[in-house]
Amino acid sequence: MEWLTSWFENSAVVQDIITLARPATFNIYFALVSIPLGFPFAMLLALGKNSKNRILSMLSKAYIYAFRGSPLFIQFFMFYSFLLTFNRSLWKPMGIDDIVLHPLFLGPLVLVLNTSAYAAEIFYGAMRTVPKGQLEAARAIGMSRWQEFWSVTWPNTIRLAWPAYTNEVVFLFHATALVYFTLPVINDQKDLMNKAGELFEKDYNVFLHFSVAALYFLVISMLIFFVCGLVQKYLSRHVRKEERQKFRFKPNYIR
Amino acid sequence: MIESIIETLVGLLGEDWRVGLEYITNGKHMKWYASLQYTLIVAVAGAACAVLFGLIGAGLKQSAIAPLRWIGSIYVNMVRGIPDILFILFFPLAFEQLVEYVFSLSRCTAAEIASNAGSWPPCDAAQWYLNETAYLIMACVTFGIVYGAFAANVIHGAMQAVPRGQLEAAQAYGFTKKQVFWRFQVRQMWTYALPGLSNVWMLLLKATSLLSLLQIADIVLWADRLGGANYLARAGMVHPDWRWKYYLVLFFLYILLTMLSERVFKWLQSRANRGMLEAH
Repeated sequence: MEWLTSWFENSAVVQDIITLARPATFNIYFALVSIPLGFPFAMLLALGKNSKNRILSMLSKAYIYAFRGSPLFIQFFMFYSFLLTFNRSLWKPMGIDDIVLHPLFLGPLVLVLNTSAYAAEIFYGAMRTVPKGQLEAARAIGMSRWQEFWSVTWPNTIRLAWPAYTNEVVFLFHATALVYFTLPVINDQKDLMNKAGELFEKDYNVFLHFSVAALYFLVISMLIFFVCGLVQKYLSRHVRKEERQKFRFKPNYIR
Repeated sequence: MIESIIETLVGLLGEDWRVGLEYITNGKHMKWYASLQYTLIVAVAGAACAVLFGLIGAGLKQSAIAPLRWIGSIYVNMVRGIPDILFILFFPLAFEQLVEYVFSLSRCTAAEIASNAGSWPPCDAAQWYLNETAYLIMACVTFGIVYGAFAANVIHGAMQAVPRGQLEAAQAYGFTKKQVFWRFQVRQMWTYALPGLSNVWMLLLKATSLLSLLQIADIVLWADRLGGANYLARAGMVHPDWRWKYYLVLFFLYILLTMLSERVFKWLQSRANRGMLEAH
């Protein structure tokens, strides 16, 4: 047993895994806050894009296009500098400048705005492929529009969109790596990439530190795929096996 | 030329616009506009590299030799679990260290390496100084490797989408395996691959905003420099922190580039669909 403990204490990889555990929680925090907030917002945007109201539809379309068509990196810089401009006139007098300009608040804010545009496009696409027959059946038995939405559109949309949404969640998790490249780092609040960069500057061992950071991203991504796979199974439990949209890691996974 | 444009615009809009127009055409701003070339160069050259790496990756993935197939699979799937930003930072650093390691073999003495343990480069003589062009090439290749993995997946899927009958017919006519691959599978794959490749291009285009992290003075770096509060001892405060305005310009610039790319890909798709049996 002794050789095991001594190996454990001296192994550079193990040391790195331990050092990077705390930074990893920052990435996880950003993703965990952004996903539940981005989901309903994305659904609203998708409904807006799908709505018959032309102004609403156009506004949602423009929002989705703008946030999908520009880099997240720029969006971070833009919102940060924008909020910074109002610091003296708004946030400081109100006494909330510490909160508004804090990366732990601003990071999830921009991530939510960004991811909801991508997710909305996915939900919108799924909404358009909801089986027409089911909608007609719902209308035929006299469901109200609200009932029709909750019993036909909503469950079908979620089920159809889930594989693509899984990818979006993973991409969002990867995008959390950009937060501290754009926002100020406060004290020792560093995320994986930041800490890996700091470790690299100490001993220039790019292969070790970046690999361990990559390992963290890889393991958590796999976890997301696994959990979302279970959800997909649950969502399509009523669908016959041969018709079941197979959940593979393959489908069009580009953001 | 710029002066004459300013004169015309001032004539049209009024004298009030002169100062503003002159400000946004001063030397630093012209440098900002010129730096757009780096973004475009890396996007286009990176995309070319990505298609090349994509073809190699797709070829490896359907190789008959198992180890090659594994390498192809790992390459294609690595971007699924690991963020692109990590690769974009890692590859240039790793390549630089590899080159410096090769340099150190001939340029450093054993004593120097021993005394420099734990630091890099092994000795001062092994330091590899890169110029602007070298950084640019490195960025292109890096983007090619990272987005080549995405492209490989698209190309692999597109190759599978080419109707089997076409390949079998070609084989029946006596084309060799190589000919069937290049003249039928690769030739026909493009129409199936275009929608996916357009996606990869959009990803790559947006990722060019990260160039400032690769030691390149790109549009983002210049926007940051120009936007910061500008105080001149001679003229007083020229402007406060204007960064959000500069970033807003970049925000719209990227949306514009996305729009243009969409148009181009639509045109390409309609061209690629000529002579195909069914519209895709």
